[in-house]
Amino acid sequence: MQETELHDLSDDADYAASQLQGSASMMRSDSISKQSSSSDSDGAEIVYSKDNVTIHPTQFASERIGGRLKLIKQGSSLFMSWIPYKGQSSNARVSEKDRNLYTIRAVPFTEVRSIRRHTPALGWQYIIVVLSSGLAFPPLYFYNGGVKEFLATIKQHVFIVRSSEDANAFLVNDFQNPLQRTLSSLELPRAVSVAIEPSTSFSAGESPSNENQQRIDGGFHNESSSISQYNAKQRQKVHDPRDLSIQVLEKFSLVTKFARETTSQLFREGHGNGYGAIERRNHDQSSFDYPERVSSVKENVPDEIPVPSDPLEKIYCLKHNHVEEAATNLGTFELISCKEVDKLTLVWGKPRQPPLGSEEWVTFLDSEGRIVDSKALRKRVFYGGVEHGLRKEVWALLLGYHSYDSTYAEREYLRSIKKSEYETIKIQWQSISPEQAKRFTKFRERKGLIEKDVVRTDRSFSFYDGDDNTNVNLLRDILLTYSFYNFDLGYCQGMSDLLSPILFVMEDESESFWCFVALMERLGPNFNRDQNGMHSQLFALCKLVELLDSPLHNYFKQNDCLNYFFCFRWILIQFKREFEYEKTMRLWEVLWTHYLSEHLHLYVCVAILKRYRKKIMGEQMDFDTLLKFINELSGRIDLDSILRDAEALCICAGENGAACIPPGTPPSLPVDGLLLYTQQDDVL
Amino acid sequence: MSYAYLFKYIIIGDTGVGKSCLLLQFTDKRFQPVHDLTIGVEFGARMITIDNKPIKLQIWDTAGQESFRSITRSYYRGAAGALLVYDITRRETFNHLASWLEDARQHANANMTIMLIGNKCDLAHRRAVSTEEGEQFAKEHGLIFMEASAKTAQNVEEAFIKTAATIYKKIQDGVFDVSNESYGIKVGYGGIPGPSGGRDGGSAQGGGCCS
Repeated sequence: MQETELHDLSDDADYAASQLQGSASMMRSDSISKQSSSSDSDGAEIVYSKDNVTIHPTQFASERIGGRLKLIKQGSSLFMSWIPYKGQSSNARVSEKDRNLYTIRAVPFTEVRSIRRHTPALGWQYIIVVLSSGLAFPPLYFYNGGVKEFLATIKQHVFIVRSSEDANAFLVNDFQNPLQRTLSSLELPRAVSVAIEPSTSFSAGESPSNENQQRIDGGFHNESSSISQYNAKQRQKVHDPRDLSIQVLEKFSLVTKFARETTSQLFREGHGNGYGAIERRNHDQSSFDYPERVSSVKENVPDEIPVPSDPLEKIYCLKHNHVEEAATNLGTFELISCKEVDKLTLVWGKPRQPPLGSEEWVTFLDSEGRIVDSKALRKRVFYGGVEHGLRKEVWALLLGYHSYDSTYAEREYLRSIKKSEYETIKIQWQSISPEQAKRFTKFRERKGLIEKDVVRTDRSFSFYDGDDNTNVNLLRDILLTYSFYNFDLGYCQGMSDLLSPILFVMEDESESFWCFVALMERLGPNFNRDQNGMHSQLFALCKLVELLDSPLHNYFKQNDCLNYFFCFRWILIQFKREFEYEKTMRLWEVLWTHYLSEHLHLYVCVAILKRYRKKIMGEQMDFDTLLKFINELSGRIDLDSILRDAEALCICAGENGAACIPPGTPPSLPVDGLLLYTQQDDVL
Repeated sequence: MSYAYLFKYIIIGDTGVGKSCLLLQFTDKRFQPVHDLTIGVEFGARMITIDNKPIKLQIWDTAGQESFRSITRSYYRGAAGALLVYDITRRETFNHLASWLEDARQHANANMTIMLIGNKCDLAHRRAVSTEEGEQFAKEHGLIFMEASAKTAQNVEEAFIKTAATIYKKIQDGVFDVSNESYGIKVGYGGIPGPSGGRDGGSAQGGGCCS
């Protein structure tokens, strides 16, 4: 067990703030925990208390919620609670509502299924508590240490066993029969359906709201108010689908581990904890179920290329009805879980909503046109996009051309200012005479390149089709003007793909230009001559796949595919060639909300790769085949389900995911606030 | 479809010289003046027959802009043939041939067959590079040369097939170890195993094994 802090946190501002905040109360709690007992008026006893145990609802340090974790003994029952601190100044972005949402009020340990301790190489130790209902609380980070003490205290009061395979997993209320335990840990239907089935008095159709109605522990009379608060909170919690998805995800990541661990435990496989290949599974099967068929089983399979299972396999099982591995023991479990869960609609990423319409749009605005709650707007757009008619207004905000707190009048004013500013830049190249152009190779080349490319941009789309299309000329003018506005970056292929939908939406030259400028503030590095923006994104993607699907990562590694060039087009032009026009616009507005992450597009990449992981690995695709395969996915990807996958992966990856992405990786704004473009002569 | 051999080709050259149009003319026998510019790489494939043997050409059509060179270089890996294309009406695309060739020599295998194509020969009235200059460049660098027009289809078929025939001859002459796929050649049904022994599906499957 590792108890000491792994890193010096003295330079962590967030940590320092929480230290300050908690210091006064910590003295008290420390003395409490030393005494190891303290009586409350109602007879409950605090047997453990730890300050600065923190929840990280998002990747942002400023949104972390610090609080105090307690174990309370009453009679023979043990309860756990975690109460967030009030009004921490460093947590200005966290609303009181969020704080309440995560509060854990006196959960009896009879409802706890397991606790898993995580000790990341970087950062704080944390635990994930999974309830027997299948729901899990968000990870609790122990800023001041104390995980060991926490577990030890529990052990004094509750029957808790350490998983024999994974020293970091602790099962509470463990079953005697190991098989039953295994199956129980795989009881995904129940895990999910607590939300749907438990109390018959509720209609089953209305999703996860009636959870835990009848879960009040009999021995807990004195704190019935806490309990009802707890239930109310749980209801509220599962009402927020994002919240439920967090819980479900935590459950699944755990379940997958359990499946693997308990299976190997059952069959006494001493092969470490790697992702078992089929050979190993076959061995499992033959040694347990069909000992007499060892050889035949082994010979039956070799045609099948063994595909290591997805670490998040359960989820994919649920979604794609992949019930292909029933032949092995591990597979049998998967089959069981798949069969049962297929009947359920699982919250996996929030269901997509219809696009934001004009009636709803006005509710986001105050009387003068300011966006009252920009985060709420971004959230709304994230989950549903925007109706086409509203895009003109909303895109300008999402892209940052207009600020959310600007009024109608201010936006109108900015438009007129920017229009003349645009004209000023445009005249710079318009005023170049043919004689001057003769002596201005760079200009001629750029103009020639742009002219060649705009006539090869979306010409099959009605807005740009036909001879002498004025919109094509607008594309040319805007791109050429941009190459003067940002002369260092100039023009690069792919820009016309990014501008095309913007012009289609904005329907105005100057407005399109400035929206494009705003977009290029973030995506400019994609087109840098040294391709540094692309390389940093491909690198981050590689890290994310390593985090979210290590078998797939290993496969790419073995096959010399780690440069991820097969995802180059996806990233360079934000999937523009992968979806039809309307879908591209939908995807872009979702990405531009930066609601869950600025880098959702990378999670979209991971989501697509994971969807086809079986095919990629099963068919043993080499780099060439993979590139061709990925190219040919164009037009065949279902946007809504991929977005839900990406959302779930993003939540699942959490801070570890964010840590895969170096600061300043596009579309993040550059770290130093200024983009520098390598200035070399374009040869072409 | 079964083939005796599969050859990987790569088409390179400046942006706008007509790489994608050459490919489309070869694979679909049509000229499409309006098409999207290539981002990254596109693919095409066609079966041809050489020496009565079905040969599949898998053709990689690359983006031409300078910025993408670092990416394009990774596509050379395992190409048996390259079509290096310039536009006879734009002198600068001819001037850049040396740098393309340098890339190809550096990142492709040494035995890659390179066909130099002066495209858009239908636009003779706007010609900026003479046929002789093209021939001269090819001769100096050991390339096969043709002028072609993706628009009229002139010499398109020939360019692709002549390249394949050259590769085929190299196989016959034992230049390649065809069991090594890094040469951009895969042996299929009826193919000839290389000098150092074939892979599955070569002589092992019988068929038209001969030499």
